[in-house]
Amino acid sequence: MIRWAIPGLVVAACVGYLIYTASGGSAEYYLTVSELPSHTGSGDVRVAGIVQDDVLKTDGGLHVTFTEKDATAAVPVDYTGTLPDIFKPGITVVAEGRLGKDGVFHARTLLAKCPSRFSTTTYTQ
Amino acid sequence: MILGFLGAGALLAALVMGAFSMVLSFWAGWRQSGVMVQVGRRAFYAAAAMMIVAGAVLEWALLSHDFSLVYVTEHTDLSTPIVLVAAGFYGGQEGSLLYWAMVLGVLGSASLVASASLGLRLAAYAAGVMAAIVTFFLVVLVMVASPFDLLSLTPPDGLGLNPVLRDGGMLIHPPVVLAGFASFAIPFSFAAAALLAGRPDTAWIAHTRRFALIAWSLQTTGLVLGMWWAYHVLGWGGYWGWDPVENVAFMPWLATTAYLHSSQVQESRGRLRTWNFSLVIVAFLLVVFGTFIVRSGVVPSVHTFAISAIGPWFLAFLFICIVFSAVLLAVRSSHLGGAAQPIAPVSREGAFVLQNLLLVGVVVVVLWGTVLPLTSGMFGQQRVVGASYYERAAGPLFVAILALMAAGPLLPWRRAAGVPSRRALIWPAATLVVVLALMLIAGVRSIPALVALPLVAAVAATCVTQYARLLRGWSRLPALLVRKRRRYGAYLAHLGLAVLVTGIGASHFWQQEMDVTLVPGQQVTVAGYTLTYVGTEQRQLDDHTELVGLMRFGDARLEPARATYAGLGGQSLTRVAINTTPLADVYVVLAGAGDGGSASFRVFVNPLVSWIWAGGAIIILGVLLGNLGERAPAVEAVRRRVAASVPS
Repeated sequence: MIRWAIPGLVVAACVGYLIYTASGGSAEYYLTVSELPSHTGSGDVRVAGIVQDDVLKTDGGLHVTFTEKDATAAVPVDYTGTLPDIFKPGITVVAEGRLGKDGVFHARTLLAKCPSRFSTTTYTQ
Repeated sequence: MILGFLGAGALLAALVMGAFSMVLSFWAGWRQSGVMVQVGRRAFYAAAAMMIVAGAVLEWALLSHDFSLVYVTEHTDLSTPIVLVAAGFYGGQEGSLLYWAMVLGVLGSASLVASASLGLRLAAYAAGVMAAIVTFFLVVLVMVASPFDLLSLTPPDGLGLNPVLRDGGMLIHPPVVLAGFASFAIPFSFAAAALLAGRPDTAWIAHTRRFALIAWSLQTTGLVLGMWWAYHVLGWGGYWGWDPVENVAFMPWLATTAYLHSSQVQESRGRLRTWNFSLVIVAFLLVVFGTFIVRSGVVPSVHTFAISAIGPWFLAFLFICIVFSAVLLAVRSSHLGGAAQPIAPVSREGAFVLQNLLLVGVVVVVLWGTVLPLTSGMFGQQRVVGASYYERAAGPLFVAILALMAAGPLLPWRRAAGVPSRRALIWPAATLVVVLALMLIAGVRSIPALVALPLVAAVAATCVTQYARLLRGWSRLPALLVRKRRRYGAYLAHLGLAVLVTGIGASHFWQQEMDVTLVPGQQVTVAGYTLTYVGTEQRQLDDHTELVGLMRFGDARLEPARATYAGLGGQSLTRVAINTTPLADVYVVLAGAGDGGSASFRVFVNPLVSWIWAGGAIIILGVLLGNLGERAPAVEAVRRRVAASVPS
């Protein structure tokens, strides 16, 4: 067993190193809209918020701008690409990208959080 | 209304029988009472039967549109096609938990029937542990997540199934994944029972391996079907997103893959006993942990699973399972012992050990990435990792595993100092060099691709040489194939994995995508594939309308569409159009329609994706061929021993 302690440690060290370097490079901050302005780090972030009514689709639906808002703050979002199926005003989206100098959040990807259909809604009395 | 009472009654009866079976079985094992073992086991069968009754009642309620049940109202409506109404059984939280418990009841009963020969105490404890797990699920089903809750007013129609789930894949993917998840409890029960009974011999391995293999096969099928479903239904051009929901299904699969290999070391060399127990236990703990984080909503996921009240229950259950397993292993591992022959680093068993360490490494990487939002949230700002983290951290480990797959099967047991092994390595090594050279000539400059794909080719070459060796003594071929079917089944499974990984590699490294807006008659060319846009049309179907963007691709017509479900607040759904050619899939998503008949599309060209599905099928074929009717010699030996030592 002692002989295997060394390869074991080597593999463990490799795994630790891989996790460290990989997560250092690609871990993104998960923020709410109000936390966005005060966030100083570089790199992409993910911002969760609710889509407002000002959704504007152009280019046959491939380009969209809208305002993402949480309880206290709002940010305009600009996104190019196919939209999630359930995208519409009122749903929660997670935009991945970065805040530009123009104050607009340029999203690289847009994920929709499905309004859960598994949980019990108002139907139970 | 009456169905709700019937179902709830059946669940309650199952709970009573489950708890009874648990208490009786543990007591029987402790007192070594043969009669009580029988009674405990039959109580388990009764619990399973009552769960089947509950399941049948729920299905009946769904099919008869009994909207007095909350569950039926929330997951189906009158316009949903009837097959999908039936699938609503596992389409929601409560129903999926019932389905899970039911599968555990049925598979558990089967494993108990087969365990009668393992010895009284082991069989009794196994029944006890299994009954405890079933009882937990039934408590949750009865107390917090009952599918039989009633509405005070019966609505005229239900809310309907999520459109994303209204697909043929819904009929097979969730039941297989859930069955896979449920089945990990069986190897765990036998592991815990063997530790409790203090009988950790090869009989346990043979029995546990069989059920671990069933769990593994179900999970493999479930994972591949999940990828297939994501690819064909979700319309983002990929099949695996490293989402927590996918990760938690992947981790127990990895642990069980490790176990299926390391158990061979115990079978043939009597080594790694504690390690094998740990792997089986960890696989089950990962299942419980995964269920907890996915269904409690503690980590952000895009999946539609609910955030619900069952979270704390699963957390408590996870805690109990961890403590129970840890104490059991700590107390009993000193009894496990094992022959003191050392394992040579360069040998078959050495390769297995290294492969195990690497697989556990992948589990750690995936686990870390999955729980990072939780752990980082505790110490400051919440952070998340995306696909690039997993590719960079797990990729090198996967590459090392591929290298082992190429070399490991050619190494002899005990030691590999002799010449034969070096000669055997010639073919995979040559294949590796040839493929590498071909890729360099073809202009491939991506380092990960240049490392991974030649290795995959070497893996395939290793499997093929094993079969080629068989052909040399072709007169004995049929007999040898049957006698050593487990080995040749395993090589077929390896070959299937090589095919699957080729598909993943090719589509990962060389996927192309393009966003275009076209007017009728206009063409677009992506990666050499030319599509012609014909025009849009509106279609009215049973429960939805579709906007179809017609495309011509050679002689084929592609019909990417956006469906709109009026009954669900106008929720829309992408219908992807895929044309599979031998080398690549042309994958078209309709983004929307513009002025003057123009339409916008996202076009993907995904190389060799069909190899992924083919590879998955080959893996399952290999497992089936290798294990149908298999009876390990160890079982026979133990049967005689048990018959001699235990009065029945």
